[in-house]
Amino acid sequence: MGKPNSNSKIEEGDSKDSNPFFSILITSFSTIFLAELGDKTQLATLIISAQSGRPLIVFIGASLALISTSLLGVLIGRWIANNLPRQKFTVVSGIVMLSLGIYLVTQGFIGFIQN
Amino acid sequence: MILTLLFTTFVTVFLAEMGDKTQLTTITLSSTTNKPLAVFIGSSLALISATLLGALAGGSIANLIPAFLLKLLSGIVFLIIGINLLLQSKTEASNDSF
Repeated sequence: MGKPNSNSKIEEGDSKDSNPFFSILITSFSTIFLAELGDKTQLATLIISAQSGRPLIVFIGASLALISTSLLGVLIGRWIANNLPRQKFTVVSGIVMLSLGIYLVTQGFIGFIQN
Repeated sequence: MILTLLFTTFVTVFLAEMGDKTQLTTITLSSTTNKPLAVFIGSSLALISATLLGALAGGSIANLIPAFLLKLLSGIVFLIIGINLLLQSKTEASNDSF
């Protein structure tokens, strides 16, 4: 035990699959934080918080909701990874991310022109 | 009153966030990496921080950084992730053929 280099092919595949825990954490954090700033959810939180005058309750409620949706997202992602062909899904999610990127950059440019 | 507000906020945000680009990102990240816990912690922390800014700092972020700049920035991040995934799928495909 503790000698994973007995099967170099498996090890190679493993090391490519599993980026360090921390770098994935940072990637998730920065991507989602940037995407969420100024998003409709944040605007909803802001409005409810201002209307009710109880920011703490709104913060707790919104946080619980967001934790639930990201838990669901992670579980759906695990299910997909285990049940669908990996290479195909990587292509599909690459295309989804590219489309989201193009959409956001276009929206940004429209906003820039309107400013 | 407090419970009603808590419940209202929860339902509103939960429904608004289901199937949103944030959840799509979480699904993508957790299915293409092998670290679901890292993705869950990272995205939860990001969402809580963004909410904290929304609930406490009010609109000051939107006043400080214009919305189009935020959209451009996050759009570029999404483009980078997309290109990365496509490149990754290419190497996966060439590995499979051996």
